[in-house]
Amino acid sequence: MLIPRRVKHRKQHHPKRTGMAKGGTKLAFGDFGIQAMEGSYVTNRQIESARIAMTRHIKRGGKVWINIYPDRPLTKKPAETRMGSGKGSPEWWIANVKPGRVMFELSGVPESIAHEALDRAMHKLPMKCRFISREGGDFL
Amino acid sequence: MSAEVKIKAESRTQFGKGAARRIRREDKVPAVLYGHGAAPQHITLPGHDLMLALKTANALLSIELDGDSQLALPKQVQRDPIRGFIEHADLILVRRGEKVTVDVPLVLVGQAAPEALVTVDHQTIELEAEATHIPESVEVDIEGLGVGTQIQAGDLKLPQGSTLVLDAEALVVNFIAAPTAEELEAELAEAEAEVGIEHDVSDAELEAAAADAADGAEGATGDAGSDPSQE
Repeated sequence: MLIPRRVKHRKQHHPKRTGMAKGGTKLAFGDFGIQAMEGSYVTNRQIESARIAMTRHIKRGGKVWINIYPDRPLTKKPAETRMGSGKGSPEWWIANVKPGRVMFELSGVPESIAHEALDRAMHKLPMKCRFISREGGDFL
Repeated sequence: MSAEVKIKAESRTQFGKGAARRIRREDKVPAVLYGHGAAPQHITLPGHDLMLALKTANALLSIELDGDSQLALPKQVQRDPIRGFIEHADLILVRRGEKVTVDVPLVLVGQAAPEALVTVDHQTIELEAEATHIPESVEVDIEGLGVGTQIQAGDLKLPQGSTLVLDAEALVVNFIAAPTAEELEAELAEAEAEVGIEHDVSDAELEAAAADAADGAEGATGDAGSDPSQE
């Protein structure tokens, strides 16, 4: 699973949920991809589950790119604990995904297989997503 | 090579987000036209016409402004990432016969060898061509090419009249070996164990396991039945 090797601050504030993706909104490497339609926190487990789902479907045929990285820690206080006594301990690693962001890319497989593989991956993600392809896309 | 697309433009005198939003509400696009050391001209373009023109790469636009026609190429286009409409366009002025540097999309033709996984390292190729004769794409024939083959920028067959700007030794298409079924299965099994994914046993697998168990039980009773004869 994707986890940062070292972070400057072990416990951080929650990342901002507002706004649109400023970059990474187009396919950069592959021919097909998954684009986020809503903003959400995506955990490293969700990213890995999506990757496994699409890789299982395409088998040996294609190449997968992951364009997001879970670099922000989220903390949680233990159950049945009174408030106070400082911030909880880091529990999850998340990527702060904004609407429009292309999260996964795929190449080397026909469109029908890519569509099915990315559909399976979308079911592992916490937000509304859509399938995008290079064919018929805009150039600039 | 794409033909010129004529677009009627209006000059723009009001600036800022308020004016830009008013223009967008009328299905128009605020744009700027610059180049050749001239002062930038702020213009408004019809949204639908511009969207259709930009469907092709490096479309040559003939901008008709105040009874005057100027050739321009799209330099940068800002789009809404979700809905895809054009928010703003930067156009650069060009002259007939002038050489310009453009990014031309790469198109793969044919099927590589079955075991090879084709990865494209440069989706576009930087070329120098005449502004009025910009190629629409650069085609690469990959028919039957196998694992270990590498196509570099210098190996590309460029359209007539264009020269390569990209480094000739830059890797454009790479053919790598696809992982074997065992390697892939081992990698996925390890990843699934880390995430904690467990597979549900399918009905077919359950029936097969039950049949195996029944066969085993029959064999055992058969053996047990033969024992009394020995007694």
